[in-house]
Amino acid sequence: MRNRGAAAKVLTFIGERWAVLFLLLLLAGFGLLERNFFTIKNFSNILYYATVYALLAAGETFVIITGGIDLSVGFVMGFTGVSSAIIMRDMHAAGRPEAACLLVGAVVGLTLGVIPGLINGLLVARLRVPPFIATLGTYGVANGMALYLSNGFPITFLPPRVQKIGNSFLAYFLPGKGFTFFHRPVGLQSKELRSLIGIVPGTVLVTAVVLLVFAFLLNRTRFGQHTYAIGGSKDAAIRSGINVPSHLLRIYILSSLFAAIAGVLYVFRSGIGNFTTMSASYELFAVAAVVIGGASLMGGKGGLGGTLIGILILMTLENGLNIAGIPAFYRYIATGLILIAAVVIDQFTPERKAGGA
Amino acid sequence: MPEASVPVYRKNFRPVRWLGRNWAVLFLLLELAAFGLFGTNFFSPENLQNILVACLPVLLLAMGETFVIITGGIDLSIGFVMGFATVICAKFMLLLQAAGLPPGASIPLAALICLAIGLIPGLINGTLVARLKVPPFLATFGLYGIAYGFSEIISKNTPISGLPPIAGQIGNEYFFYIVPGKAVSFLVKPQDLIPEQMRSMISVLPILVVIFFVFVAIFAFMLKRTRFGQHTYAIGGNMDAAVRSGINVPAHLTWIYVISAFFASLSGVMFVLKYVTGRADAGSARMLDSVVAVVIGGASLYGGTGTVKGTIIGALIIATLETGMVNLLIPSHNRYIAIGVILVLAVLIDQFFPELVGRGE
Repeated sequence: MRNRGAAAKVLTFIGERWAVLFLLLLLAGFGLLERNFFTIKNFSNILYYATVYALLAAGETFVIITGGIDLSVGFVMGFTGVSSAIIMRDMHAAGRPEAACLLVGAVVGLTLGVIPGLINGLLVARLRVPPFIATLGTYGVANGMALYLSNGFPITFLPPRVQKIGNSFLAYFLPGKGFTFFHRPVGLQSKELRSLIGIVPGTVLVTAVVLLVFAFLLNRTRFGQHTYAIGGSKDAAIRSGINVPSHLLRIYILSSLFAAIAGVLYVFRSGIGNFTTMSASYELFAVAAVVIGGASLMGGKGGLGGTLIGILILMTLENGLNIAGIPAFYRYIATGLILIAAVVIDQFTPERKAGGA
Repeated sequence: MPEASVPVYRKNFRPVRWLGRNWAVLFLLLELAAFGLFGTNFFSPENLQNILVACLPVLLLAMGETFVIITGGIDLSIGFVMGFATVICAKFMLLLQAAGLPPGASIPLAALICLAIGLIPGLINGTLVARLKVPPFLATFGLYGIAYGFSEIISKNTPISGLPPIAGQIGNEYFFYIVPGKAVSFLVKPQDLIPEQMRSMISVLPILVVIFFVFVAIFAFMLKRTRFGQHTYAIGGNMDAAVRSGINVPAHLTWIYVISAFFASLSGVMFVLKYVTGRADAGSARMLDSVVAVVIGGASLYGGTGTVKGTIIGALIIATLETGMVNLLIPSHNRYIAIGVILVLAVLIDQFFPELVGRGE
C-alpha cells in the first residue's frame, strides 16, 4: 500500500509538471540535433513568433478558467488588424503625419476589438447562449467582416514607419562597441550591420508587459479570484455575491481585447493588414496552449504561467521542425497530438487532494 | 407554460406555436421569396437544382454532425476530415490512373478507398471520446489539426490536379436533358444542337444529388426507425439512463463518430467529383455551416433532440443563401456574416421559446 502511494505521488508529480518537463526535453532534443538552435538569434526568433499566439492564448485562458470557450479569437484578430491597417493606410494617403496615422490606427483597432467581445459576453452572460455557439457565431461574423473590409486582399501601402517600429529591438549589441538602447547605432558600415545583434524584440517586450499585468490581475486581485470562483462553481459564485453576468461580460471583452492587441501587433510586425485565413486555426493553437498549460475545459483551473509554457512548447516545436527542414504543416499534427495527450494525461493523473492512492 | 392556463378555444389553433415550431421552414420560404423578388431567374429549374447541389456539402457534413449532436457531443474535425478525404480520393485517382486502370474502375475504387481511410479519424475520435473520456470538443479539435496537417503534407500544399475528366462529368452532369419539341436524352447531352436549342435545353436531376441523397435517406431511416437511432437519442437524452438500460454506450458513441467521419469523407468524394481536384482546405469553411444547419434544424447542443428533416432544412437555408448571393452578385465572403448571425438567432429562438419550439412538451 505504501508503495502504491509513493507511485501515485510520483505520477502526480510528473502529471502536474509534464508540460515543463516536455518543454525542457524539446529544448534539449533540438539543441542536440541542430547546431543553430541554441543561439540568441534563434531564441529571439521563437519569442518573436510566439507573441501573437501568446496574446490570443492569454485571453483564452481567462475564458477557459470561467468554464467557457472563445472560438472567435483568430478571426477577431484578423478583423481588428485589417481595420487598423485600413485606417493607417487611408490617413497616410491623406497626408497626415505618420505618428498620428499609427496612433489612430492602433486605437481604432483596439476599440473595434471590444465589440465582438461585447457581443460574445452579452450572448453568453445575459442570454445564456452556450459559449461555444455564441463565439462560433462571432467567428463567422468577424471573418466575414474582415473579408468584407479587405475585399479578400491584404492591406498594403501602410506608412513605412509601422514596420520599423514593429521590428525594433529593446537594445542593440555591437561586438566591440557596446550597447545602444531603442535605436540602431548610427553610421554603421554594412559589415558592422551584419554583426549587429538585436536583443529583445519590441513586440516581445510589449507582450511581456501585457502578460505580466494580466497575470497580476488574475493571481492577485479580486477580479482574478472571482474568475476562478465562477469557473469552480457558478452557483457558489452567485451565492457568494459575485455579479456573475457582468463578470463574464468583462471576461469575453478581455479575450477580444487580447485578440485585438494581437491583431494590431501583427500589423506592426508585418507592415500589412491581413485577414485570417480559414485554415490558420489560431483558435486551435490558443486552446491547445491553455489546455497544455493545465487548464480544464470544465473551468476553475489554469493560469497564465501554464499557458505561456504551452505556447513555448508549440512555438519551440515549430521552430525546431523549421530548422530541421520539416514542412511547416507537421506542426498542425503535432499540436493536435499534444492537445489530446494533454487531456489524456490530465485525465489519468491521480488527484493530489483525493487522498493519495 | 402550464397547459391549464391555455383557454380551450385556443388549444386547437395555436398559430404562434406553429410558427415557432416551423420558423426554419418559414425562414427558408422567406429567403426564397426575397431572392426570387430581387434576383434574376432565381426560380428557373437550373437555379433551383443549383440550390440542391450547393446544399450537398453542407448537408453531408451536417448529417454526421446531427448524429453527434444528438448524443450531446460535437465534432469539430469534419471540415478538415473532408479536406483530408478530397486529398486522399484525388491522390488515389491519380495513382490508379497511373497504374493503367480505366476511369470506370479507378474512380469508384478511389472513392471506396477514400471512404475506408476516412473512417480512421472517426475511429480515433470515437475511441478518445468513448473510451478515454476526452471531452468531444477537445478530442475532435485535436483531430482538426491532425487531419489538416496530414492533408497539407500529402497534397504538398497544392491542389491536386490532373484527375480523369470523367470524374467531372459525373459530378456536373444531369440524368435527363430535355430539349423542348425535340428530344429527351438520358445521361448524355444531345449532340448537334444549334445554339438556340442549346439555350432552351433543360437539364433535370443532377447526378450528384441522386447519389448522395441515397446516403442521406438511408441514414435518416436509420435514425428514425431503427434501434440504433433510438439508442442515439437515448444516449443524448440521459447518458446514465442509457447505460443502465443496457446500451453499450462506449461502442455506440464510437460508431457515432465513425458515422460522422464517414459523411465527412462522402462530402470529400462529392467535392472531388464536382471540382475535379483535391485540396486540404476544401472543407475548412464548412464546419461552421454544418453546425449551423444542425442547430437551425432544431437540435439542442445538450443532446437528445434533432432530426434529419430539420438538418435538411438548415442545409437548404445555407445553400439558398449562397446561391442567392451568387445570383445577386454579392461577394461570397459576406455569407460568413449572415451565417454567423443566423446561428446566434437560431440558438436564441431555441433558448427563449422552448415551449414555442416544442421542447417544453
